[in-house]
Order: sequence, then C-alpha cells, then structure tokens
Amino acid sequence: MENLVINLLNGLSYGMVLFLIASGMSIVMGAMNIINLSHGVLYMIGGYVGWTVAVKLGAPFALGLLAGGLAAGLVGLMLERGFLRFLYKQPNEQVLLSFGFVYILSNLSLWVWGGWPRMPFTAKFLSGSFEILGRAYPKARFATIVFGLVLAGILWWLQDRTRVGAMVRAGMDNKEITMGLGINLERLFAIVFFVASFIAGLAGVIGAQLLGVYNALGLEILLLALIVIIVGGVGSIQGALLGGILIGLVDAFGKALFPRFAMFTMYFTMIIVLLLKPRGLFGRKV
Amino acid sequence: MVASDREVVRGPEQVKWIQFAPYFAVATILVVLPLFLSSYTQGVMTRFLVFALFSAGYNLVFGYLGLPSLGHAAYFGAGGYAVAVLKLHYGTDLFWLGVPLGILTATLIAALFGLIALRVSGLYFLLVTFALGQLLFSVAWNVKWLNSPGMQGIAGLSFPSFGIPGLTVNSTSYYYLVLLITAFCILALHRIVCSPFGHALVGIREGEDRMRALGYNTWLYKYIAFIISGAFSGVAGVLFAYYNYMIDPNHLGVGTSFLPMCMAIIGGMGTLLGPVLGAAVIISVELVASIVTPDRWPLILGGIFVLTIMFARQGIGVYLVELSKRAGYPYGSTKG
Repeated sequence: MENLVINLLNGLSYGMVLFLIASGMSIVMGAMNIINLSHGVLYMIGGYVGWTVAVKLGAPFALGLLAGGLAAGLVGLMLERGFLRFLYKQPNEQVLLSFGFVYILSNLSLWVWGGWPRMPFTAKFLSGSFEILGRAYPKARFATIVFGLVLAGILWWLQDRTRVGAMVRAGMDNKEITMGLGINLERLFAIVFFVASFIAGLAGVIGAQLLGVYNALGLEILLLALIVIIVGGVGSIQGALLGGILIGLVDAFGKALFPRFAMFTMYFTMIIVLLLKPRGLFGRKV
Repeated sequence: MVASDREVVRGPEQVKWIQFAPYFAVATILVVLPLFLSSYTQGVMTRFLVFALFSAGYNLVFGYLGLPSLGHAAYFGAGGYAVAVLKLHYGTDLFWLGVPLGILTATLIAALFGLIALRVSGLYFLLVTFALGQLLFSVAWNVKWLNSPGMQGIAGLSFPSFGIPGLTVNSTSYYYLVLLITAFCILALHRIVCSPFGHALVGIREGEDRMRALGYNTWLYKYIAFIISGAFSGVAGVLFAYYNYMIDPNHLGVGTSFLPMCMAIIGGMGTLLGPVLGAAVIISVELVASIVTPDRWPLILGGIFVLTIMFARQGIGVYLVELSKRAGYPYGSTKG
C-alpha cells in the first residue's frame, strides 16, 4: 500500500515535469507547424540559469525560476525570429536547423557551465520531507505536482477560454482565413513561441528539483517530450497533460515492478498507443 | 549520370564524352589517391565511403519518397551490431557470415519498424521513427548480451577475414573493398530509382492521392522502399563496424540518424549523388575539426547544419549542376 502511494506520487511528479516540457513543444508543433528539437536544450538552459541564480548567487528559488524561464524564452525567441520563421512549412529544414542548435547550445553551455552535473536543488521551505504512511517523502516532489497542475490549469484556460487562445486555435485550423480576419499571426506566433520556450525554461528549474541538471539532459528530455507528444497527440494542452501523467506513471511503476525493463516500459506504451491510435490520444490533424 | 524524376530526353548528338569527364575524374581520384596516403587518411576515406552509402540509401526514403525518417541509424547500427555480436560471442570475423547477417538484421528491423512508422505520415512519421531508433538505443544500452564486459558497446572488432589462407586485410585493401561495395550499391540504387518502381516513389512524394487513384498500392510501395533503404543502411553499418573497431549505442541513436539527413540536404536531396557529395563535405570538415579543435566539433557540426539550411537549402550538388548547365555542359538534371 505504501509502495503504491509512493510510486503514484513519484509518477505524478515526474509526469508533471514531462507535461511541462511537452506542452510547449506540442503547442508550437500544432499551432505553428514548427518542430523545434532544441526545445529540450531550452529546458536545460533554464535549469542551468536557475541553478546559477538560486544556488550560486543564493537568490530565492522563485527568482531562479523566473530567470530560468526568461533565459530560455529569450533564446527561443531568438531562434524563432532569427531562423525558424523563414522555414514555415518546411519540416525537414526545421528539424535539421533546430538539431544544429541542439549541438551548438549544448556545446556552448558545456563551455559556460562545465561538464559536472548539478545536484537537485530547491527552495529553502521546500527542502526536507513530509511523512506519508510512515515514510519520508520529499516536499519538493509535492511542490512539482502542485506547480504542474496549476500551470496546466492556466494553460488550459489560456487555450480554451481566452481571445489569444481562440486566435491560436483558429490559426491551427486555417491560417489564411485567420489572417484574412485581420489577426497578426506573425506576431501571435512569436508570442506563442516565446511562451512555449519560457515554459520549457520553467520546467528546467522545476525539473531540476528532481533530476538536477547535466549536459546530456537536453537530448534525454527531448526524447521524453517526443514520447509524451506521440502518446498524447500534437497540439493540445490536454494531450500533453494526459500523455505526461501516463508516461510518468508507467515509468514509476515500471521501475518498481520490472526494474530490469524499466527503460522499455515507456516505449511499449508508446508503441501500443501508436498501434491503437496512430495520432495519439488527443491528436489533432497536422 | 545523375538520375532523377525528370530525366531530360536528349538526342544522341547531345551526349558528349565531356559530360562524363567529372565522373571519370572523381573515380580516378577515389581509386588512385589512397595509394599515396597514410593509413589514417585511408581510414577517413573509408569513413567517407561508408557514410556516402548510408546517406544514399537513406535518401531513397528521404529524398525520393519524401518521408523524413529520423531513425535510420537503427538499421545502420543493427548491421554493425550483428557483426560485433558475431565477433564477441562466436569469435568469428568472417566476411561471408557478417555481411549477410548484418543485412538480414537491418532488413528485419526495418520491416518491423516500417509496419509501425508507416501508419502515420509527415511530422508524426518523423517523431515515430525517432522514438523507434531511440528504443533500439536503449535496448543496446541495457541488454548485457549486446555489450562487451565493463563497457557500453562492443569493442575489439577488426577488419574482416575472408577464410582464404594467406589473405589478410589491411587498411588499404579494406578501403578498396568498401569502394567496390559502395560503387556496386550506388549502381544498384541507380537502377532502383530509374526503374518504374523508383518513378512511382517520386509520384507518391508529389501526390500520394493521385497515385492511389491510378491504382497503385502506395502503402506497399512505401513499405518496400523503407525496407530497401534499411537494407542499404545495414550494409553501411556492417562496413562501418569492421573499420571502426568498435560499435556503441550512439551508433543507433539520433546523433547518427541526423548525419545522413544533413548530408542529403547539403548535397541535394532527391538526387542520387547529392548525398555522396554531402558526405564528402561533412567528413572533410570533421577531419579538419578533429585536428584543429576536437572539443568544439559539435559546435562546428551544428554550425554546418544551420548554414546549410539558411544558405544552401536546395543543396550544393544541385547548385553545381545548375552552374554547369549555365556554363553549357549539362552534366545531369535536377528535380524541377
């Protein structure tokens, strides 16, 4: 029983990190038809900047969170304005270009932050643990779950209940008509891309509470994000949330029940979803 | 002759010997030059040939069929792992055993993955092939049987033996072996893309619905092309493993999958020899970078990706052909 609860919490907290990284990528993919493989590296940059601010400079954790998000957001904005906006509707070129930036940004951050991995860090009031069913459980993981759910709520509200969300959804469905209605899609897309990158940076700092930060993380988290997107479907917050939680839980229970095959449980889930619903659980047509 | 979807019909008087001059020149360089090089540089040229083959095979799916696969390292690495497992567990490096087994492994995996990946198209195809490649990566990382004791990957490979007494393979003879096989494979690919099957692939790229309306079973065409492409990647992987002395999970992963894509785009996708040219560019930059600044190689490689996309999007090869046309020597045709 305790094991069940602990695994559930582990899965949920990990799933929230996965949701955060996948949501931005999925929206960019769905709304703008841009596949940005450097999204994982933006996550890593957010984590590193958050570490620098919160641990090295000793500023409050919330400030590190903000700094990580902003750093990733600005790098993302630069990518979109400087490069990706010339490549609309050219998926192969987007893939190659953004993967080029994976190499470039990873190597630059290796230069800046060095190769040694950073330990997980968190806010002062979140360090330590609760007692659940006689077991100690870290507070930071709870904070991750809460934070993820709150952000999911905000993003869901933005997507379904606001004017901006409606414009983005309209742009997904029919770009020409949306532009014909006088909506400045170019500017809207830049904003969407910035927000997505900002969330990736936030996710980097939040995820650092569980995973720390290290140089190979950019690629690892990219792979996880892609699995979540494949499972959840491209282009919606709900899909990313469901996919993230599902993959997080599958991973946690996989590690607990079949430790030898822990790495494969996610892939099996993905393949099963692909066989049943090739476009993912909440997939839109891209 | 660069094969393409829109072969220009020429009268006999237009085919002049000078059209073939560049091919003779390149062939002569490839045959003669290694005799005067150190064994290290011969190794680099072998590497070039291996990746030229890998990339040309990849381009059948990527350029001709228009499906952006990001998992071709899976078949490349599978070929390599087949050879490595033979050496590690059965102690044999017999060429006649390694090559068929490597091709078979790569083909089977391509046939399996193709079933899953071809259920979707476009962006999803890219994601799914990517994830399937990473699946193999994690298998190779975790399964003990696929790793030499105490390390990731399998080391201690050597040049193949041929089971002929008195015949030993060194870097020079291995280079010529790879040259022969690569030339043979590229000729085979030439035959494939010039056949009705190859034209059907281009037709599917340009308009799958129309091809279906014409009565083609487009799924089957795509599936067969995917498997053929996987088999060629497998050949490249086998040749790579013999030359590289070791193979590790990264050779199955996304980093390796990007190389043929980049080579194909640099050289000109949808042409037969474009990927070969792209391989030449990447491998020579890699050689220079490995001498000058090995730590910054990823930075340079990333820079090449970005510069290619921003400035040579249709490919250097296509650009050269256009140039030669303007100069009045039509060496080949490009896709329109």
